[in-house]
Amino acid sequence: VGCDRSKNLVDICAEKHFQAFVCDALSVPIRSGSCDACISIAVIHHFSTAERRLATIRELARLLRPGGTALIYVWAMEQEYKNQKSKYLKEKNGSKNKDKEMNTVIAQRPLSDQGPDNSSQDSAWCDQLLNDVKDESCGAKPVADFRLPVHTNRTSFHSQDLLVPWHLKGGTKKKEESIDTVLVPGGSKQLQELSPVFHRYYHVFCEGELEAVCRSLDCVKVQKNYYDQGNWCVILEKL
Amino acid sequence: MKLLTHNLLSSHVPGLRPGGGFPLRIELGHPSELPPEPVPDYEGDEEFLRRVHHVLLEVEVLEGSLQCPDSGRRFPISKGVPNMLLTEEEA
Repeated sequence: VGCDRSKNLVDICAEKHFQAFVCDALSVPIRSGSCDACISIAVIHHFSTAERRLATIRELARLLRPGGTALIYVWAMEQEYKNQKSKYLKEKNGSKNKDKEMNTVIAQRPLSDQGPDNSSQDSAWCDQLLNDVKDESCGAKPVADFRLPVHTNRTSFHSQDLLVPWHLKGGTKKKEESIDTVLVPGGSKQLQELSPVFHRYYHVFCEGELEAVCRSLDCVKVQKNYYDQGNWCVILEKL
Repeated sequence: MKLLTHNLLSSHVPGLRPGGGFPLRIELGHPSELPPEPVPDYEGDEEFLRRVHHVLLEVEVLEGSLQCPDSGRRFPISKGVPNMLLTEEEA
């Protein structure tokens, strides 16, 4: 059985005849100790504080029966590892992207629901945001007046905490850059766009970071820890 | 939502006593085809077994709700999908 925070995405699962429900990863409505195995793929990296990320892993552990296992995948800061570029970098398309280095820094509240039905309310320009983002691992940034950089898709990450653009075109995720909304301080100019752009918050993990978070929990043991196509992965066992 | 899925779900309204969120009461638009309790020696009751098999493996709730036994809070099911999200105030 599957679950996600986005009702629209879960509806798609149901259309494909999978069993799924809508819930928040911080509070999963499943009885403790009732799962032989759980997977959390590309979820935890959307949580904006170390505390919340730890809480999702603790929640995942709660669901497992003793001896049960969990698999966690999160996006890695290191998109090139052991001299190999990840698929994410390799699939970089055409010359369109070359000069489109998005230097526009947009500071905003992370969207609570990443579903496609979200209207683009992310045009606010705030001076100080995510005051409680405490980046204690590599690439630590000062907490005061923290701004989130907007990532250029298909390039390496320069910051652990960032916003990744998502172009909504007929409901499917598109990899190519199209006409983007460019937001300028003062909010006066906005380019006419053909498709809306959503900025999705990510905290990309450094080598060893996911493992360290898991090791801080007494109820699980890290069985495996590895890198897979631009992701850091762990396999946990419930003690 | 299949019955086997329902078997895993529990209410996560904060402040419930342990186990107070399970099982969720399934509310449909129409009465169930099953009796409230299994009859004694149900293993031999073909008619009953046929109905149980049907409900377990052939029935999915598309529209209805799940009610928390302790708090009474209802979680809607629509298009076969239970929505278990708590509001900001509840969480």
